[in-house]
Amino acid sequence: MKLYYFSEMPHHEFPDEEGAKYPSLRLDFPNRFFSPEKARANYQRYLDEYEFADRAGFDGLMINEHHSTPSCVNVSVNMTAGILARTTTRAKLLILGNILPIEDNPVRMAEQLAMADLISGGRVLSGFVRGTGVETWWANSNPVHNRERFEECHDLILKAWTTPGPFRWEGRHYHFRHVNPWCVPLQKPHPPIWIPGTASPETAVWAGRRGYTYVPFLVPFDVARELFDYYRQGAAEVGRTAGPDDFGFLICAVTADTKAKALEAGRHFMWRMGPTLRGPVEYFSPVGMRSRAGTQFAMRARPRSLATMSYDELLDGHYIIAGTPDEVIDRFAHVRRELGIGHLLLEAQESRMDHPTTMRSIELMGAKVIPAMATG
Amino acid sequence: MRPREQTISVGGIDVHAWTGGQGEPLMVLHGAGGNRGWTRWVEQVAQRFTVWAPTHPGFGRSGDAPWMESIDDLARFYLWLIDAAGLGRPHVLGHSIGGWVAAELATMSPRSIDRLVLVAPGGLKPERGEILDIFYHPPAELRTLSVHDPATIPEWDELFGRAPTAAELETAVRNQEMTARLTWKPYMHNPRLARFLPRVTNPALIVWGREDRVVPLDCGEQYRRLLGNATLSVLEKCGHLPPIEQPDTFARLVIDFLRGPIRP
Repeated sequence: MKLYYFSEMPHHEFPDEEGAKYPSLRLDFPNRFFSPEKARANYQRYLDEYEFADRAGFDGLMINEHHSTPSCVNVSVNMTAGILARTTTRAKLLILGNILPIEDNPVRMAEQLAMADLISGGRVLSGFVRGTGVETWWANSNPVHNRERFEECHDLILKAWTTPGPFRWEGRHYHFRHVNPWCVPLQKPHPPIWIPGTASPETAVWAGRRGYTYVPFLVPFDVARELFDYYRQGAAEVGRTAGPDDFGFLICAVTADTKAKALEAGRHFMWRMGPTLRGPVEYFSPVGMRSRAGTQFAMRARPRSLATMSYDELLDGHYIIAGTPDEVIDRFAHVRRELGIGHLLLEAQESRMDHPTTMRSIELMGAKVIPAMATG
Repeated sequence: MRPREQTISVGGIDVHAWTGGQGEPLMVLHGAGGNRGWTRWVEQVAQRFTVWAPTHPGFGRSGDAPWMESIDDLARFYLWLIDAAGLGRPHVLGHSIGGWVAAELATMSPRSIDRLVLVAPGGLKPERGEILDIFYHPPAELRTLSVHDPATIPEWDELFGRAPTAAELETAVRNQEMTARLTWKPYMHNPRLARFLPRVTNPALIVWGREDRVVPLDCGEQYRRLLGNATLSVLEKCGHLPPIEQPDTFARLVIDFLRGPIRP
């Protein structure tokens, strides 16, 4: 099983009582609480950690993008991918992902991804996501069109990567007279495509049909298995049998020299389980963004929100794994047995987890956990 | 007098409509909340006019129109419906987004309609203040923001007094989705509408609640300035829903305007 290092690049640099005064940390919390000085240092630090994870032996470096929120100030996955393409040498660059429905120029996105693939020597894994409602508000993109734009943006990027130009694109949401990018990916026919999932059966079926790697985020095991079944249904429609390499899973994980230290560090993940997800449903799922089937599945999939769970419950449910390297190896093996996955994505830094703790966790993962998980 | 329900097929879409009353035809275009049917004010106006109250495509019991992109599309659609249903040259009354539809429709073909009643319509960008972002607020909060004082609303219990059924919730979501489809960006206005409004010289009555917290009264003043022959009537202690907040006063205003003399 391959392991991926991931940091949301949080900006938890404000008094929590200030954040608590607003309906949500997303959209509403004023950016006067953003500290450019702290961010300047943090970006350097977070990139150092990614580069160390590359040297430590992680199979991949996952990066993501959010907007208008202190939970993630990585505001451009392609910019970060461009940096890491140059400053790392071996790990895959898992961009998970570009938020397609809010993109107005898929051709530029295709070019940027191609450039990162070229600079990195063909290490890009190109994730495409629909984004949360917050990103839809941020971009002022009509949520009713979210799925249509996701699919059309995807189709145009794929065509830009694989069909010699120039060609014309006159779709419903995208219109380009001359598509002829003078920058196409190194990997052929194109970089592997990854799709995350939390609750949409349609997305799982869609990814299965196309043979994309499918990764549920922080859901109960039984829900992940159900989503994988939807994926297999899509794969079967095109006569394909899905295997472990088609499936990934995302959890939060940290290791340390002692169990006590690891458990202390793991508490930092509580911030992303509750405070950063707090807010009216309209912010995260504006009207029309989810299909009826998706809404119904989401209600079943998350009978209890992560925010209502205690630290112990999150540890028991494998949403957070924190322990010595040996303990972490056991827990990861359990996840692999339960889900039959080939890729485990580790959200490995959060909130105010400090640099030395993060670096030691990366070091121990590289020295002990990654080699242990590499077999099987 | 009991209204009847019917389906009018236009452009492949089955449009549900309430129809009833007597007299000249009056087409009533509902707001984002959906077609509330034969409420108290309609009952009174239908004593003097034949009311046609269609449910917009994508709302309530009307068919889907996922291809529609804007209020202009809906306005063009209603010009077609006026012909298809044989309404002749009806008076048109629209509330909120329905008022915006009525205004657009009037600019496209002023001779297709008789008099125009715009009730707190969207469509224009306020010069002062902002139109409330109705998609950003939970439903209960939005209802509070929509009216001045629920205690004064005679039909409050009838309209909002009980928890909605699953089917009603489903309809509410559908109504919201279609509203988002038509009004998301630019939000609740058409930057070009102001350029076309002077074409409309039909007698027009604009009705606004003084305490409207959804669409600022400022927009009502703009409509009055831009339309060639319009009166602005402001109701005190009234929010964004004059037809249900003050149904008797509202019905009287509408009847008097539609039956009154044409101003020079």
